[in-house]
Amino acid sequence: MLVVAEREQLPVPQARAGEPAAWDALFHRYQLPLYVYVFELVHDEQASLDLVQETFIAAVRHIGGLRDDAKFGSWLFGIAHQKCAQRWRKQNREEVLREEITESPDELETGPDDFLIRQEQEAEFMNLMNQLPLPQRAVLLLYYIENFSLEEIARITDIPLGTVKSRLHHAKRALRKLVLENEDKS
Amino acid sequence: MKTPREILLKRHQAVEPKLDAIRNNVVREGRRAAVPEFRVAGTATLPMSIWRELIFPCRRIWAGLAAVWIVILAVNLSMRDHSPAVAMKSPPTSEMIMAWRQQQQLLTELIGPNETRAAAPPKPFAPQPRSEGRLEILIT
Repeated sequence: MLVVAEREQLPVPQARAGEPAAWDALFHRYQLPLYVYVFELVHDEQASLDLVQETFIAAVRHIGGLRDDAKFGSWLFGIAHQKCAQRWRKQNREEVLREEITESPDELETGPDDFLIRQEQEAEFMNLMNQLPLPQRAVLLLYYIENFSLEEIARITDIPLGTVKSRLHHAKRALRKLVLENEDKS
Repeated sequence: MKTPREILLKRHQAVEPKLDAIRNNVVREGRRAAVPEFRVAGTATLPMSIWRELIFPCRRIWAGLAAVWIVILAVNLSMRDHSPAVAMKSPPTSEMIMAWRQQQQLLTELIGPNETRAAAPPKPFAPQPRSEGRLEILIT
């Protein structure tokens, strides 16, 4: 089973000091989650691999700009998100990022792991995930993959906290509905 | 039963060898070339760190400020060329001299010739002995 490593154990200070082994450990820790996030947004394996590589190079280059070592993960995902946004801009797909939901919920439902998915539902889960609008999908992926806080997601995606809340609310509601419908059918 | 995270990560596990290759490549390239970035954090020079931490993150704001200052400077310079100070340096024309003389003449007619009255000469002071007055009183 894949386990999220403790953030405080990450060798960020050593990486900042320029130790290649520290970079290797950091990249090893984040390479798959980062790839999953990028792939589920762009849906192109080669482009996703390129974007992950660009993210790693940018991280090495700009580690001096990271203020809080504990935020390395969200910082790295922020770089990847920017790379994806640049790619969308090149493809003139900016409109997909502008999708906004006006109604903002006061309270969110409980955490992302409050429902489990049966093996036979996995394909449908992924199918529905891909049907979500891109902004909602990005927020939901960050919430699921790394269990980032709402504030961290707002920083990564560079959108207001209220927008993160509303996007997450709508995305989770849509997923929950699907899971419940499937349970009823079965 | 799996969590969404487990489903998502498991779904893409096949790509891990490619990701390993990318990771090794980035780390190796950094080490071999002693890429400045790999050491830059520890040995950054002051101008570089100022550029990276102060200017680069807010580069648009800095560029905007610079543009505003350039506009202000340009406007200032263009206005200075036509300012009254520059015009004063040119010699007065004959019309201006005539008008000035007419004004002087009018002023003279209104307030009279520009003469100062002679002040009355002060009275000569003749000091008297103080004892004289007192002596007359004593005699009477």
